This record gives sequence, C-alpha cells and structure tokens, in this order.
Amino acid sequence: MIEFLYTNAWGAFIALLMFQIPFLLVFFHVVNKKAFVDSEPSKTDPEKYSYSRYGWIAFVVVAFIVVNAASIKYMPTIVEANASTSQDVKNVSVTARSWFFEFSEMEYKVGQTVRFQAKSVDTVHSFALFHPDGSQLFTLMLVPGAGTESAVVHTFTEPGEYTVRCLEYCGVAHHAMKNTLTVL
Amino acid sequence: MSAAINIIEKVPFFGGMFKVEDNELNPVNAWPSLMAMTAFVWFAIAAVLGVSMPTIQFLDLGPNWYYKNITLHGAAMAFPFAFQLMVAMSLHRAGACLGKRADDLFVSLFYIFMNVGALLLTLAVLSGFHVTYTVMFPLPVVGVGNGQWSMATLVLGFSGIALVLTSMIFIYPIKILKMSFFEKTDDTLQVAERTLKDPGMVGMIMGVLILLVTGTPLMIVAGSLLLHLYGIFPAAWIGWAADPVVFEFVFYIFAHNLMEAMAIMIIGAVYSTLPLCLADGARKLYSDKIAMIALWILLVTSLTSFFHHFYTMYPALPSTFAYHGNIMSYATAVGAALTIFTILATIWKHGIIATPALFLILGGFVMYILDGVSAIVISNVAWNFKLHGTMWAGGHAMVVLIAISALWMGMLYYHYPLMTNRTIDDSLARSSIKYLFISYLGLFYSFMAAGAAGMPRRNGDWEGDWFIYGGFIFFFGMMMLYAFVLYFLSLTRSKAIDY
Repeated sequence: MIEFLYTNAWGAFIALLMFQIPFLLVFFHVVNKKAFVDSEPSKTDPEKYSYSRYGWIAFVVVAFIVVNAASIKYMPTIVEANASTSQDVKNVSVTARSWFFEFSEMEYKVGQTVRFQAKSVDTVHSFALFHPDGSQLFTLMLVPGAGTESAVVHTFTEPGEYTVRCLEYCGVAHHAMKNTLTVL
Repeated sequence: MSAAINIIEKVPFFGGMFKVEDNELNPVNAWPSLMAMTAFVWFAIAAVLGVSMPTIQFLDLGPNWYYKNITLHGAAMAFPFAFQLMVAMSLHRAGACLGKRADDLFVSLFYIFMNVGALLLTLAVLSGFHVTYTVMFPLPVVGVGNGQWSMATLVLGFSGIALVLTSMIFIYPIKILKMSFFEKTDDTLQVAERTLKDPGMVGMIMGVLILLVTGTPLMIVAGSLLLHLYGIFPAAWIGWAADPVVFEFVFYIFAHNLMEAMAIMIIGAVYSTLPLCLADGARKLYSDKIAMIALWILLVTSLTSFFHHFYTMYPALPSTFAYHGNIMSYATAVGAALTIFTILATIWKHGIIATPALFLILGGFVMYILDGVSAIVISNVAWNFKLHGTMWAGGHAMVVLIAISALWMGMLYYHYPLMTNRTIDDSLARSSIKYLFISYLGLFYSFMAAGAAGMPRRNGDWEGDWFIYGGFIFFFGMMMLYAFVLYFLSLTRSKAIDY
C-alpha cells in the first residue's frame, strides 16, 4: 500500500483525497450549521476551543511528518544517491535540443537498472519517461548551463515501448519532441 | 468629475456594472472601480480563451492555435485580471479603512503600466510570440534564433512584460506602503476604521513587501536584458543576466512568491471581512493572535519553499535544497491549518449572516485550501518526480488563480454598495456562486486526475485518453463560464440603494 502511494501518481491522487475530504466535511458542517441551522452565538466552553486548536495543529503536524517520512525511501534523490556506489547500474547519457533527444543507448532489458544523465544544449527542456500504460515514471528538468547534468536511476520491471517526452514548453514543436525506448 | 468616472461611463456593458456616483467618496471609489471594470474586460477575454483550448483540440485546429491561445489566456488571466482586481480591492479597502486617497499619480501610473503592458504583450502574442503562460528563459531568445518569432516581436513582448512587472513590483507596493505609513488621514474618507494592528491590514502590508523584495532581483535581471535588446547595454554587460539558471531562479523566486503574496493578502482580506458578517455583531475574529501567527508562518515559510519548482533538476539542484523546499512547503500548510482553525472557530463562536458576499469569500477560501493541498502533495520530493510537468502542475496554477479571483470577487460583492451606491442582484449572485463552486470542483479534480494519468501540461497535440480528461475540463469550463455570466448579470442588474 505504502509503495503504491509513492511509486504511482494515482497514489498522490489518493493522498490528495485523504487530506481534502475531512476538511470539506468539517468546513461544510460548521458553515451550514452556523449559517442556516443555528446562527446564534455558540455556548461552547472556551476550553474546548483551546483543546480543538492544539488537537488540530498536532494532527496536522503529525500527519505531515508521517506522510513525508514514509516517502523518504521512494525519493528519486535518495535512490540515485544510494545507487552511486553500485557497479550494476548502467549509465546512459541523454541530450535534449529543440526538438529531439539523443540517447547513448535506446534498448534495455527487464530488470536492468539505468542511471539516465540528461542535459539540454539550447533552451529549457525536460526528459520524462512514460510507462507503456501512459503513466509518468519520472521527469527531469533540464536547464542549459546548469553545470551538472540532471540524473535519475530507474529499474525497468516490464517489457514494452516506453515513451520519452519533453514536458517543459520549448516552442512551437514542443509536442513533437518525443521518442521511444524499448525494453526487452 | 474624475477621469476614472469619465472612462467608466463611456464603456458599454462593463461600464454599467461599475458606474460610480460623483460624490465626496470619489477619491476612494473612482479608480478602484475603473480598475475592477478593466479587470473584468480582460477576464471576459481570458474566460473565452480558456474554454477555447479544449475546443481547439477537439476540432483538431492545430498546435499553433493552442499555443497562441494558452499564451493569451495566461497573459490576460494572471496579471490584468486577477492581479488588477486584487489591486482595485486592496486600494479600496486601504482607502476606506485608513482614510487615504486612492486616486493619486501612483494609482493612475499603475493602471496605465498594467494595461498598456498587457496590451503590448497581447500584440506580441498575436504576432507569434507563443511562450505560454510562463517565461522559460532562454526560450524567448532561442525562438528568435530558430525563426519561431521575430526580434521585433520579442522586444514588443518583453517591453509589455516589463511594464506589467513595474506596476506590480514597484508602483503598487509603494502606493500601499505610502497609504499605510505616510499619507495623511482624511476623516471624510474613513468609512470603516481599521488600524495597522488589524490582521487584515498586516496581511496586505506583508503581501506588498513580498512583491517588492522578491521582485526587485527579477527586475534587475530582466531590465538588463531589455536594455540590451533596446541597444543601450552592450552584450558584454549582460552575460550574467542571460545565464538561464540565473534567470530561472530569480523568475521563480518572484513567480512563486507572487502567488504566496496574493494568498497572504487575500487571507488578510478574509480576516478583515469575516468579522463584519457575524450574526451576533461581535466584529472580531476568534483570536487575532492566532491569525497573526498564521500570517507570519505563511510569510516565513513561503519565501524559500519555491525550491519545489526545481527538485527535478537534481543533482544540478543539490538535494539539500530539495529537502528544504519539501519541508518549507509543508510548513506553509501549517500556516494554512491555523487559518482554517481561526475562520471556523470564528464562525462557530459567533454565527454568520449568509450573504452572497460572505458565501463567495468562504467558497473561494475552500477552493484555495483544496488547491493548496494539491500544491503540498506535489511538493513532496517523491511525488514531484511523478507529477511535475503534468496537468496536475498546470491545473494547480490555473485553479489557484480561480480561487484567488473568487475570493476577490466575493470581496467586490461586499465593497460594491460603497463603491457604486447600488446593491447586487441577490438571486443571480447565489446562482453564480453555486455554479462556480460545482464547476470549480469538477475542473479541479479533472486536472488532478489528468495529471495522475500522465497527461502533459502545455501540450498542443492531445492523444488517446487525454481527450477524456479534456472533455471533462471542457464541460466544467463551460459551466464556469456560465457562472461568470451570472456573476456579471448580478452586477449589471444591481439596484440603487434608496436611503
């Protein structure tokens, strides 16, 4: 469950709903009650406000810490840093320019771990890899002159045709800046 | 008669919405009314352009039209509409609360710079300057190099952007600071007295300081480039400013904090207005202290949370800045959580009078919080690599503008009787709010789902399943357009207040 939350973009959508639905329910309950049902001043004990305040803030802080702490393992920055000492990672260079990509290698094997190191040589581009089902696996923002290439480590787990796209608007043919990587 | 009133009276339809009586409150009412009217002219254009984008895809009119319309839509929506409406309402609020004139040289200069600048940018876009709604430097220059647009178009577009930025970063903040701290109070203009200790006023001052502080570096960089384009600075002088990394960072430090400034300012406006709509007439928040703490948390944390725009540059952006941006973005949400508590506790304690103005303000606040959740989700480093560059990010930029605009449109409902001596059409206003809120929810979740499904933002050639999400966006966009028509009608069918 936790792995799905952080490794699939729909996990982010579920997290979005988990945060929003309680807020919506409480907000509409309070507004509806005090606007239409009973708009008289509340006789709630002042101490209850105080408890609610501390309880609410404690809940928010704990929820944010848990959500972020649980995600550390899945942060691409952490994965890339951990892979930097491994001998089993294949380095692939990617160069982006208006409006195409150049790869040092375009065919991969299932189970292969690849470090993509990407750069742009003209304007801001990105290097985004899409699973054959259409979901985005990762994206790298490529700013020319950044000094260091952007990098991410990815392990291919399924065969198929993976689409590469530029996701940073780069001019009139931006939509045509795409390519295909094959995983056997 | 004020020049502003003269202009309003000559504009068909929109002029009727903002007709101001010639009386002793003109120094507070006239120019804010003109700005609000002009903002809505831009908005009418922006709204039609908004629904035109999915239409272009469904009719297969080609990417070029898509990029033209998305650039025009962004240029009209963000600055001459949303920002100008905010300036109109904050000048009116500051004027009427502090007893200061809102009709001096700074106000008219703001109006001219903002609208002439937006017109120049529009002309540049119509001439082919299709950069979409954010400047990804060095694209504007590269575009000249590879023949996408001409150098003259670039100079025209940059000149327009420079005028708009000057109005936002210098003229407006200086005017608000002058009103808050230096100008003399005129008791005849002080309709609803407020002091600078009021959380609402503090939010406004924080907002303009953010614009001034975070915008000045951008003005130095962009100004140097523009002076080179004019032939005043030689190339040897501006190499540092033309570095894409320098430009991208100063741009996003400003652009990110611009949204934060607008949010802090609108939260301040909610803090000012909510107490005036309480059922028991208490005219105070649950706690000014908590309201202030929330504003300070928002201010401090938002300044450096802009790093979340650059996580995916890793390792060109050192990971420590990514983690810092992650933490600060979530800390921003703690400020928002305190704001939610203050607003709900105030409502619970005192009860509210269910006016359209308050409902649109509260509805806008809900929209702002829902959008804020989408922002903090994508600010997590793990999720950011999955969602950055998709419709999730594009949708966030769009719906935060809708939320902020809805809040200011609610504020306008509240200020309208004082500005025009007329009351809005209550029934149309309630219908407008209902459709606006439903369409907002539909648009919001359509964008988020499209992003989760991997649909790229700012892509002029939709394919496959993207059309399904585009269909939902079109449907709810049309519903939102209908809500805005009702909003306009609620103003045009307003009735004179009979004392």
